[in-house]
Amino acid sequence: MSTQTIASVKPVYQVTETAEAYNLTVQLPGVPKENLEITGENGEVRIVGRRSWQQPEAWKSVYRETGDYQYELVLTHDNAVDVDATQAELRDGVLRVTLPKAAALKPRKIAVS
Amino acid sequence: MRLIRYSYPASRAVSSFGFNRSLFGGLDAEINRLLTSASTGFETTAATGSFPVDLYQDEANTFVRAELPGVARENIDVEVIGEELTITATRKTPAAGEQAETSTATSRTVTVPEGTPADKVTAAYENGVLTVTLPKPEAAKPRKVNVQIS
Repeated sequence: MSTQTIASVKPVYQVTETAEAYNLTVQLPGVPKENLEITGENGEVRIVGRRSWQQPEAWKSVYRETGDYQYELVLTHDNAVDVDATQAELRDGVLRVTLPKAAALKPRKIAVS
Repeated sequence: MRLIRYSYPASRAVSSFGFNRSLFGGLDAEINRLLTSASTGFETTAATGSFPVDLYQDEANTFVRAELPGVARENIDVEVIGEELTITATRKTPAAGEQAETSTATSRTVTVPEGTPADKVTAAYENGVLTVTLPKPEAAKPRKVNVQIS
């Protein structure tokens, strides 16, 4: 990643929970797969996404509602997530991350003998 | 850093005259607007929210870029009628558990120059961003004429 500082903004995101995992949905319009970084360490999941599109020189901006910022989302968890088994999918500017719960937190069925 | 979403002056004027005849002359409405925009962030592309649009132009074309993350291509509708370009996006949330499938359509309309050749309008969708290219009407293009000097 370049050392250039770009203003970053928190993207729109949503977290849902199932018995097995936390599902994270992040809206990252304009971010391709190669500009996306997901790191998980110290009870923290960090998602950084940079836009790939650059305004061509001949284009004059007339009206803007978006910015050229990058997206940065940091979520903390209590280490109850199995970071190694995390799965992520980026499609059409939407990132879906599945963070499986650590084995200790999953509901466990105990057979009665 | 905090950016406050731009809202059209015209629609603000309407709301402060139409619904907020208060002592503060719409100031409280303005404060509400600021608080709302500060708390929701400036790019609410959630299911019910509208989507942000950017406009650019070069010598030959006008470009409209709209952020539509997660909307399938077949659910994006681009229409040019007269002097208006309308982008309609239908976001479908698949049925999950007891919840039935929901579908929300949002649209934005942009005024385009009169005489824009509607049949030459093209659109591309990449990484959740739609780019619509509208060629400028012939008359509006800068014309270079070489004049022979005898």
